[in-house]
Amino acid sequence: MTNTPYPLDKADLLQAYRTMRTIREFEERLHIDFAKGDIPGFVHLYAGEEACATGIMMHLNDNDRIASTHRGHGHCIAKGVDVHEMMAEIYGRSTGACRGKGGSMHIADLSKGMMGANGILGAGAPLICGAALAAKFRGDGGVGITFVGDGASNQGTFLESMNLAAVWNLPVIFVVENNGYAESTAMEWAVSCDSYIDRATGFGLPGVTVDGTDFFAVYEAAGEIVKRAREGGGPALLECNMVRFYGHFEGDAQTYRAKGEVENLRANRDCIKLLAQRLTETGTVAPAELEAIDREVNALIEDAVRCAKAAPPPVAADLLKDVYVAY
Amino acid sequence: MAPAIGIIANPVSARDIRRVVANAANLQIADRANIVLRVLAALRACGITDVLMMPEHGGIGRHVARGLSRAAAHGEAPYPAIHPLPMPVTGTVADTHRAADEMRRAGVAAIVVLGGDGTHRAVVAHCGAVPVAGISTGTNNAFPEHREPTITGLATGLAVTGQVPADIAFAANKRIDVLLNGRVEEIALVDVALVTERYVGARALWKPESFRELFVTFADPEVIGMSAIAGLLEPVTREESGGLMVRLGTPASGMTVLRAPIAPGLMASVGVADWRRMPAGVPFVPEVKAGSIALDGEREIAFSAQDRVSLTLRDDAFRTVNVGGCMQYAAQNRLLTGAPAPVTAEP
Repeated sequence: MTNTPYPLDKADLLQAYRTMRTIREFEERLHIDFAKGDIPGFVHLYAGEEACATGIMMHLNDNDRIASTHRGHGHCIAKGVDVHEMMAEIYGRSTGACRGKGGSMHIADLSKGMMGANGILGAGAPLICGAALAAKFRGDGGVGITFVGDGASNQGTFLESMNLAAVWNLPVIFVVENNGYAESTAMEWAVSCDSYIDRATGFGLPGVTVDGTDFFAVYEAAGEIVKRAREGGGPALLECNMVRFYGHFEGDAQTYRAKGEVENLRANRDCIKLLAQRLTETGTVAPAELEAIDREVNALIEDAVRCAKAAPPPVAADLLKDVYVAY
Repeated sequence: MAPAIGIIANPVSARDIRRVVANAANLQIADRANIVLRVLAALRACGITDVLMMPEHGGIGRHVARGLSRAAAHGEAPYPAIHPLPMPVTGTVADTHRAADEMRRAGVAAIVVLGGDGTHRAVVAHCGAVPVAGISTGTNNAFPEHREPTITGLATGLAVTGQVPADIAFAANKRIDVLLNGRVEEIALVDVALVTERYVGARALWKPESFRELFVTFADPEVIGMSAIAGLLEPVTREESGGLMVRLGTPASGMTVLRAPIAPGLMASVGVADWRRMPAGVPFVPEVKAGSIALDGEREIAFSAQDRVSLTLRDDAFRTVNVGGCMQYAAQNRLLTGAPAPVTAEP
């Protein structure tokens, strides 16, 4: 039993809201700063998809591993990676999570179980199988979660990893973040078999589809799937149908979108608005409590940007440091 | 000229959490398309030449088109012509609503539905007097009967072409209207459950400790899901007037503890306070003041103490194809038996 009408206590609900708001504010700020030319490299924003990362990651601990994608900021924040270190990394500063040498698509923090964003589509899947195999040998109940988009789900690595996870009965959860577009290609043009669930079924994995804009839908389904994996039930696939508010990458002209599509999504399928509405309608939290979190988050992001800009870039002498792991 | 038939095949039914919490089945897209082809073959055998189909992006239509083009390449004509409805695809239940509307307006003689209880509910909400022929491709499926789809197609063809008299071919069905603040918000074909969860979440019902009240149009001990709870207490047939209402709770002293199959492969102990008949046409106000309303096994509407909820069961609310009746009539009247070949006299 919880102290709310929801499956989480009030403190956890406020934490979920804080996480989602932090992701959103982080991404909105990058959208602005990238356009100004302040940020090197590429960024792919997670705005609109916050309920997915948050609803899943609330079931994990630092011992659980995740392998992320090129659109990894939300996964990092929800997994507990320090926002200041993330911002510094994206700004290419030596105080960054990877000493400023990785950038947006290579943020990692093993202390938090975050094995890395990944610039190669579908490359997280085999990595997480390795982490899950280690957890299985250790017998510590750890699970591994890998994320792919609807495009990367066509990669051989992803399909081979589902096979491997099934053969070795690994505690892996394959999360398909289906935002409807593989870069600019709609799913029905690019995904044969037509259903990710059918693909999972082909490898003997159960598959579940949820509304990825509904925090409680993701939280509830992910809870059951993670529990199953921890108990030795093996791998599974979770498809979250969600929306992205920005282009595939910053600078994407998005000519493939219908006119007014994003405005409609922001008005009707904004997962943060929907969560806030539910929590306040039932009197579980007061609007003022959420507004206070908004102010704290804004200040946090502002400070992260200020610190990142003030930090020095990595020096040439450090170029080959942190590249290889010593055993 | 033979009447047209509509087909609504939902590509996204049977995808919810019950695959993890209860080992429920997943019917793959290719199999759903094969079901459509089986239905089409049966319809054609009854003389149906035209079928309107709901467009979708889930792949069923594409697989069906492959089957049709293969048949055409062989010079065969085992299928009616398919006419996809000219409508945008949203990938939501709105597609089913719109397709049922359009099919009704186009004057189809029946709509064949592939889906679970939820898909059938969506069709019934918009098809008016057009009879529905249900094929189970969902999870719980208390409403559509489990049967080989070829037979459903055959019965539908025989029914709409008048080969089976209408009083046998079609059956009346009950439904429950769910009113929220005085307005019909939704309908249920089988059951309405009031549960304590205040969120829709993953939709399915699998935590019996949250069950509080249950209203069913029929109570069949042979089905699974919420209707099974009522069915194991006091069976009520689809044909008789009215349904059953059951008060539920966490098993406590004075309560009957019922073990019921609330999902495929999921037996649960449910506390039953009492139960009684639910007459048709009488509005019932649930005792639960806040929670969510589950329709045919899925949480759909969250409500609070400020909302006024009432439930009314309606007899004779919509029609279905009486598959069993059609096939019995077909056998008794030799509808599928051709004229015997002439006997040649021995030389």
